[in-house]
Amino acid sequence: MSAAPRFEARGLARTFRGGAGVHGIDLDVAAGEIHALVGLNGAGKTTLMRLLLGMLRPDAGAVRVCGVDVNRADAATWARVGQLVEHPLAYAELTGRANLEVAARLHGLGRAQLAAAVDRAVEEFDLGRYADVRASRLSLGNRQRVGLAGALLHEPDAIVLDEPTNGLDPAGVIVLRESLLRRAAAGAGILVSSHHLDEVARVADRITVVNDGRIIGTLDPGGFDLERAFFALVHGDDERRRAAA
Amino acid sequence: MSAAGIRVAVAVEARKAIASRVMASTTVLLVVGVGVLALGMLLAAASGDEQVLAKLGPLAGVPGWAGLVGIVLQITAAAGVLAFGVALSWTFGREFADGTVAALFALPVSRPAIALGKLVVYLAWSVAVAVALTGVVAIVGFAMGFGATDAAGVGALARIPVLVVLSALIAVPAGWVATIGRGLLPGIAATVGIIVVAQVSAIADVGAWVPFVAPALWAIAPDAVPAAALLVVPTVPLAFGALCAFAWSRLQLDR
Repeated sequence: MSAAPRFEARGLARTFRGGAGVHGIDLDVAAGEIHALVGLNGAGKTTLMRLLLGMLRPDAGAVRVCGVDVNRADAATWARVGQLVEHPLAYAELTGRANLEVAARLHGLGRAQLAAAVDRAVEEFDLGRYADVRASRLSLGNRQRVGLAGALLHEPDAIVLDEPTNGLDPAGVIVLRESLLRRAAAGAGILVSSHHLDEVARVADRITVVNDGRIIGTLDPGGFDLERAFFALVHGDDERRRAAA
Repeated sequence: MSAAGIRVAVAVEARKAIASRVMASTTVLLVVGVGVLALGMLLAAASGDEQVLAKLGPLAGVPGWAGLVGIVLQITAAAGVLAFGVALSWTFGREFADGTVAALFALPVSRPAIALGKLVVYLAWSVAVAVALTGVVAIVGFAMGFGATDAAGVGALARIPVLVVLSALIAVPAGWVATIGRGLLPGIAATVGIIVVAQVSAIADVGAWVPFVAPALWAIAPDAVPAAALLVVPTVPLAFGALCAFAWSRLQLDR
């Protein structure tokens, strides 16, 4: 397994009408690292993740995924990526297992590997009871579990998860935490956004704070009172921008 | 876009289409609806209902298989395009409406391959609909005794699968519009637009060489449309299929 950074962003900018977006972001996600993004709603976390995954084209800057320019990423590169940004891949008409099988095919697994990968995912995310239930009948949290299991079942090297604990119950949060820690230990580079600072502190190696489309600082995952430190950074940045305006 | 990617996309889209039952229920609605309507109009015409006779125009009084098939084609030229357009709008638009489109990025299977996979499944389904409708109309015809009274005219049935597939081909722009418009409704609006253009032109007896019009005109007046004009119809799915693949390759989650 190569040790190239899983994601590299340089000077990344994309501005939407009205001025929202991201405005010149440099970011790395190293192999074996869980890198957390925290910020208020509208800070630009999801936009940044979409840029990293080719869901948006930047106005300026560049992205490399596993060392490959995102615009030139081929099937072999994308086969190393797993992501869940906003909506999980959980088609309402398919059962939990069928959704995982679809995810496995789309992530490039052959028929030979498919059944074992799906079985592992069902077990890892404790989806046994829901494997034969249509996603339309699953709770929000269980659909999220199906989506997370589908995003990770091909053991990707480069992972992007936007608010992955959305809808998860406490047991689901622990399952996800263990899943991410295990994958990072195996060499995956993981970028994860969250509003839950306590949860972030438990899993992240690095915490980057985003505000108004820019990176404004970092938090120490082992630090005391992350919430106070977070708001001190955000409010300080807001005041600086107001003063400069 | 690799052949392997397209194969996976076709398999995935077929699985979704079968599980959703949208296409199965659309097939039943179309086939049963057209069958019942055709039978009703045939019986009403036989009983001398003036309104139905006026609606049938030159078809009124045509006996045997040719009359039955003519009525079926008239209904199918509009109802078929509507059914196909709505189904295709769902196929593409649901990814945006359900938010699943985000999960179709950053995959080894490219988005143009997924778009083509959707179109391949759609066209295969249209062939199944064509076979089913032809079968139902054959049953209706034999039940009405045409097997004995008009044995030589049974070949007219062959026009049904041709029109069904042609109707599916001209509804392909709905998939592109659903993509550009990011949802089902724009695709359905495009479908209604296609039907209006086709029906108004066909009734006015113009546009034999316009691919959107030729099937409906051929349904009403087969002699008015040269065979070569029908061969032009596949330019619609080719052009709009390419536009669909391009739109999916350039897709951004920016709305």
